[in-house]
Amino acid sequence: MALRDWPIKQKLTAILLLISFLVLLLTSAAFVTYEVVAFRQTTVKNLSTLGRVIAANSTASLAFANRADAKEILSALRAEPHVVAAALYDKDGRLFSSYPADLPGDSLPAAPGRDGYRFDRGYVIGLEPVAEVGSARLGTLYLKSDMKAVSRTLRLSAAIAAGVMGISLLAAYLLAAVLQRRISQPILALAETARAVSTRQDYSVRAPKLGEDELGLLTDAFNQMLGRIEEQNRDLRKLITELERSNKELEQFAYVASHDLQEPLRMVSSYTQLLERRYGDKLDDKGRTFIAYAVDGATRMQRLINDLLEFSRISTRGKPLQPVDVNRVLGAVRGNLSLAIQEVGALVTNDELPTVMADETQLVQLLQNLIGNAIKFHGGERPQVHVSAQGAATEWIFAVRDNGIGIAPEYFERIFVIFQRLHARGEYPGTGIGLAVCRRIVERHGGRIWVESTPGQGSTFFFALSTRNGEQAP
Amino acid sequence: MALLRKALSFTVLLVAGPGLAAQGVQAPEYQVKAVFLFNFAQFVDWPPQVVPDSQAPLIIGILGHDPFGGILDVTVRGERRGPRPFEVRRYQRVEDIKACDILFISQSENDGLEEILLSLKNQPILTVSDSPRFAERGGMIHLVTERNRIRLKINLRAVQAANLTISSKLLRVAEIVGPTGR
Repeated sequence: MALRDWPIKQKLTAILLLISFLVLLLTSAAFVTYEVVAFRQTTVKNLSTLGRVIAANSTASLAFANRADAKEILSALRAEPHVVAAALYDKDGRLFSSYPADLPGDSLPAAPGRDGYRFDRGYVIGLEPVAEVGSARLGTLYLKSDMKAVSRTLRLSAAIAAGVMGISLLAAYLLAAVLQRRISQPILALAETARAVSTRQDYSVRAPKLGEDELGLLTDAFNQMLGRIEEQNRDLRKLITELERSNKELEQFAYVASHDLQEPLRMVSSYTQLLERRYGDKLDDKGRTFIAYAVDGATRMQRLINDLLEFSRISTRGKPLQPVDVNRVLGAVRGNLSLAIQEVGALVTNDELPTVMADETQLVQLLQNLIGNAIKFHGGERPQVHVSAQGAATEWIFAVRDNGIGIAPEYFERIFVIFQRLHARGEYPGTGIGLAVCRRIVERHGGRIWVESTPGQGSTFFFALSTRNGEQAP
Repeated sequence: MALLRKALSFTVLLVAGPGLAAQGVQAPEYQVKAVFLFNFAQFVDWPPQVVPDSQAPLIIGILGHDPFGGILDVTVRGERRGPRPFEVRRYQRVEDIKACDILFISQSENDGLEEILLSLKNQPILTVSDSPRFAERGGMIHLVTERNRIRLKINLRAVQAANLTISSKLLRVAEIVGPTGR
């Protein structure tokens, strides 16, 4: 798992541990270094003390060339096991006596170097002048001490440092595990609340506030935001409920009104027709023309009321969406429109069409209105209508293309509004409801409808239906 | 310096062993003895009242025939014991000896040695000689040539009687003998 994907608890613990580890490492390194340096200095100091003592003791041996005495003095070094070799050189730098007795001859320098103490390949080499106080130099003492004590100290202090580090890291881990909660807890609580909000759409939950720090401020801000969303949701729901109610009332009103209007209209129509049949011969031509106007008016009003009823039924009498084969729908439409098709000799063609989730009756109505319009608004030529469908990511886009009179772009929106007509009734008949019905049907299916057109060259009506099922518009 | 080197080369000869001894120990023998005389000064302390002036020279005297030739003079030239420079003086008679710190009594005085030592008795003069049985006869330090090496025999009682102090280091490299027959 990438570091940035770690849970925040682990991140915090890891950061704390890493810092502790680095600090401890540096401290331990300093400690070990100090120990070793100090011990080396001590080693040199001890060796130089020893050297001074031996040198002071061996003055007479050198002064009076007494090798036995020199050997005896040097053999006292047995008490110091770290001294692996020692030698006395005379004033001229010639080897006078050496220690231990079995020392290989080549392990000593042929002549002593400069006085002083130095580290050399794991050994401390010391050269101490041999002289009586205030008198001429008699020779040089050579001492060679191993560094085993130093490396033992190094090992010991490294072991101590490792132990301290281990214990400290454990303590740091335990502390970090406890203390990281101070930071992670509010964040986790926030995250948990956010998850609850997004999965359950429940804006009434609130994140618990655990302190007055920045995380506390964040929690406050988050809770306030939730509160505002909840409030707005409530307002919205209220508004929607109100709208739904007034919409329903309006629909009901339209339905009832159109339904109830039919009754007196039928009476007007019937009696006018009765009047024509019974008393037509008693009237002059003018009277008969008036009656014909009245009948025509009543018929048109009848159609208007029917269309209005149809419009209001789209949402009130809608059926649930089911898989519908659009090819079959188009067949039904062809049948319904066969008379009009034959009348103008229209050519209605189509591509292979898909199956979609829809209310079949309404889908028939939708296509019938669009194709009917396409035939109705034909120019001088023989109408050609083509129906096609194209699958997009989440929806099917249907197109009904014609070669009719076309629509100017400024009317692209207006034509879908109820009772909006672009032409005089004498030019093209109609109530001005058809496209409004189409839009309402498409919207009930959760889709959208639009038009593209060039006046004089034809129009293409598009409508998109979602490929997902069951999304009913209110 | 040069002389010291010569003396030390003699030491090397000594070290080299009997094979080289035949080539003549005699000549460098007094070089070593000269160095020893010089070195004695470092391991012997004189009573403070003897040295009124701390800058006064430390005098090494030779009584009788001088077997060193100029070697002793060369050995001590430029050397100091603390602030005191060295000086070599030669005496023919014991009466001539005034302020002397170390006195080498030549073998030429062997016959009258007892009288000489008697007249020097209780004086703070370190007496050194290579005359036979010197220490046993009342001298302080006897330089004994033995198997090509020069060894020291010290008569500690004579030293103490003269109110001199010999460093224990010097005593360690020497053989301590007591006077006999006196």
